[in-house]
This record gives sequence, C-alpha cells and structure tokens, in this order.
Amino acid sequence: MNRKAISTSLGAALAALAILSAVFAASAGAAPAWKFEGKSLEGTETVLGAAIDSSMTIPGLTTKCEDFLYKLTIKNEAGTGKGEVTEVPLFNCTASEVCTVKAIAAEALPWPAKLTTVSTSNYIVIEGVKVSILYAGTKCVLGGTKVVVTGSAGGLIDNPTETATFNATTLTATGTSLKALGQKIEWNGLFPTEAFEWHREQALSVS
Amino acid sequence: MAQRTGAKRLLALWRKAASAGVTPALAVVVTGALVGCAGGSGETTASSPRAPGPAAEGSSEGKRVDGQASTRKVRSSSESKDSSAGEGAAPGAGKHGTRIAPPKGPREKAPTAEEEAQATVANITLASPSLPPGAGGVAPLSPVYTCDGKDGWPALSWQGVPPGTAELALFAMNVQPVGGDLFFDWAVAGIDPALSGIDASRLPRGAVVGQNSFEKRGYSICPAAGSSETYMFALYALPKRLAPERGFDPDAFRQQVLAISGSAGFFPVSYVRG
Repeated sequence: MNRKAISTSLGAALAALAILSAVFAASAGAAPAWKFEGKSLEGTETVLGAAIDSSMTIPGLTTKCEDFLYKLTIKNEAGTGKGEVTEVPLFNCTASEVCTVKAIAAEALPWPAKLTTVSTSNYIVIEGVKVSILYAGTKCVLGGTKVVVTGSAGGLIDNPTETATFNATTLTATGTSLKALGQKIEWNGLFPTEAFEWHREQALSVS
Repeated sequence: MAQRTGAKRLLALWRKAASAGVTPALAVVVTGALVGCAGGSGETTASSPRAPGPAAEGSSEGKRVDGQASTRKVRSSSESKDSSAGEGAAPGAGKHGTRIAPPKGPREKAPTAEEEAQATVANITLASPSLPPGAGGVAPLSPVYTCDGKDGWPALSWQGVPPGTAELALFAMNVQPVGGDLFFDWAVAGIDPALSGIDASRLPRGAVVGQNSFEKRGYSICPAAGSSETYMFALYALPKRLAPERGFDPDAFRQQVLAISGSAGFFPVSYVRG
C-alpha cells in the first residue's frame, strides 16, 4: 500500500470515527428534559394534576378512584428530566358491586421519577410505587384482605396534550411492571400535568 | 385572564380538597399558586421568574381568551394525533381546567392500626408449577383442571407461611359472584402448615374437604359453555385449628377463617370454555 492509499484509508477511518462520535454525542445529548415553552427547566417546579382516567386491575377486580390527584416535583439534572411524586391523595375509590374499598393509600412517598426515551418516544418512569388497598365485602374474594401494589410504571408523554398515558403497552415499552398478589397487574391511566409555581400556565413539554 | 380563570378553578379545587383533608403540604402549594394568581408579593428569584403578573378583571370560568393558554388543550392521545399541537379545541376546554374537578367526598385513608390488625394481609406467595403466567399476568387454566378434563386441582406451591401457623385452609372461588353469592369451587381445611404445596389431584394427609357450590364434596371448575371466568385460589394461614367436619359449608368456614387469619396468598387463573 502506498503512502497516498494509507493516507486515504486513514482519512476515511477518521471521518467514520468523527461520524460515530457525532452520533454518540447526539445520543448522549438526546436525554429527555422538562421544558416550559420550549426552554429547559432550571431549578425545580411543582406539577399538580388530576387523573382524567385511572384504573387498576388485580385479576378480575378493577379498582378506580373518581378523583386521583398527584403532586410531582420536577427538575433537570445533568440535562435529564427527573422528579419525585410527593403526594397522591385519592378520593371516592370503588372496586365492584361486591368488593368495596375500605381503605386505600399511596405509601413510601416520595416515588422517584425520571424521563427516558424509548424508540424516539419519551416516557416518564415512576419508581418505588406502593399502594395499599384494604378490600371489604363478605361476597368479595379479596374481602378483608390488604393488598399491596408495588413496582414501577412508565407512561408515554404526549407533548401536545401535556399528558402521560400509562397502560400495558407503555409499561412493557419501559420495562416496568406493577405487581400485586405475586402477579403483574394492569394499570391504565391518563394523567395531565400543570405547573403550579414559577411556570404556571406555561406549556410543559418533554424533549 | 387565563390566570384569573385558573385561580378560580384552583381555588375551588383547593377548597374542596382542603375540606376533604388533603395534606397541608399540598394545600400550601395550591395556596401559593393562588397567591401568585392574585398578584401576591411572593418572593422571586432570578433563576425562577414568576409567571406573568396579576390577572385582568372580567374573565369568566371556562372561557380562555389568552392565546397561549387556549391552544393547550387536554385531549386523548388519539385525538391529539388528528390535529397539530392542540390547535382548535372547543371553547371552554382550556388547559386542564375542565378536567380538574373538585374531589367529591372525603379523601381515602390508609388502613388504621385497628383495620390492619383485623385484616388478612396478602403476603404469602401462592403459585402453580403447572400453570405459567399468561400474557396479562394471569395464568390460563388448562382444561385438564376443569370439567372439560379430569376436573382435578392443579399442583399448588406456596412460600411465606408465618411461623406459628396451626393449619392452612385453601379455597378456589369464582371472582365474579354467581347469582349474587360467592361461588366456591373448592374448600379444604386442615392442611399441614409444614407443607409448601400440594400435588395435583392428591390431598395431603389430614386435609378435610368441604362441599362446593356445585353441592359436591370436592373440587370442580366448570363454567357455562362459551363463557370466560376468572378464578381465585386462596390460601389462608390460621393461628389455631378450626377443625371443620367433612362436607362443611365453605361460606361459613371462610367467615371463620377471615376472622382469625392474618396472612393469605392468592393465585388467580382464567378459563375460557369453548
């Protein structure tokens, strides 16, 4: 191989390396962050919301709460969106005709949250979820039983509607799961977000 | 104006939530937001600028005239795919405002210490080596274990029986009641607490079988043709022996079990009968 050929090969290799570096740099820089009106959030913000719809199904028994509120503190850390679910007040929770919800509460708060990207879609992953439910009803198979739901859940962020959707597909996509009675359980929910402090009434997006 | 509208809405939410017992921290956050909405003199920092200033008078609930806010609507994901960036939503469907309704009724609470003491905690792991989990997490029951097959129970295994347990009781029940009543497919008492499972269709020594809802002393899972059912195997650890007689009433026995048992395990299965 002559000097010119070596030089050409070296040049091509360096170019390929440069492209690869650029790709990896782009990937590294693609970590999703919280943004208000398109600008990255600086400091922290508090987000409050009320689930538009939310239900949790332990096989054969779907539990719903008419009002499912939540408080989430968000921030960007090293360019990546993080957060904590700090409060989850629940109201008017029901199960079925024969099973009543005697008590239900989110426990072990705060639940850490982080943003992640899977196949170009952005997700919020809530970790350390723990919800205790005490069912009642003499004709309820879980009557008199305290069931604890634990695990993590990933929800798909939709910027135009400023919502996060949690369902079996989003949990699978993020490699998360919620369990109760030793089984995976279903959780379906649509959760809007609204900033309550410095960025009130500003569009919240993730990118 | 948007803030004014938001303030009214949030005030309603806060009043309701506060009266319903939302924790003080949450109330403080909402209060803080409201103070801001009214143009209060809260502290600001350079890195965290306040949202735009005091609201103008004259706005009305549900009518957003602020251009920025009016373009941000909460819709379902499927709806969002049909238009771009939330433009053109119906009037009055302002950002989240129409979706956040004041909670109705009191806030749900965690079980009290007394309720905890009386409850049975689902802390025993119950499974079947014969029935792997299905796609949705629920194990599909093989026809072998129904009236379409041998109608005998599958092998079951468990872990986490608390020390001091005097006996175990096992039930199979339809999750959905039949004719308004709990339907028992199987009820067994007197299982040795030292066991960590039972074999398929073979009762351990000392076990006593009750009468099921098919009025049969034994096991049977037999849904109506063409129907789909979810069944729950339930194992209870009992701190004392109840010693019911053969052919016992499973409903009455279960009430006795629930009154004294502090630990249980559950294993749901599903069956679709062709």
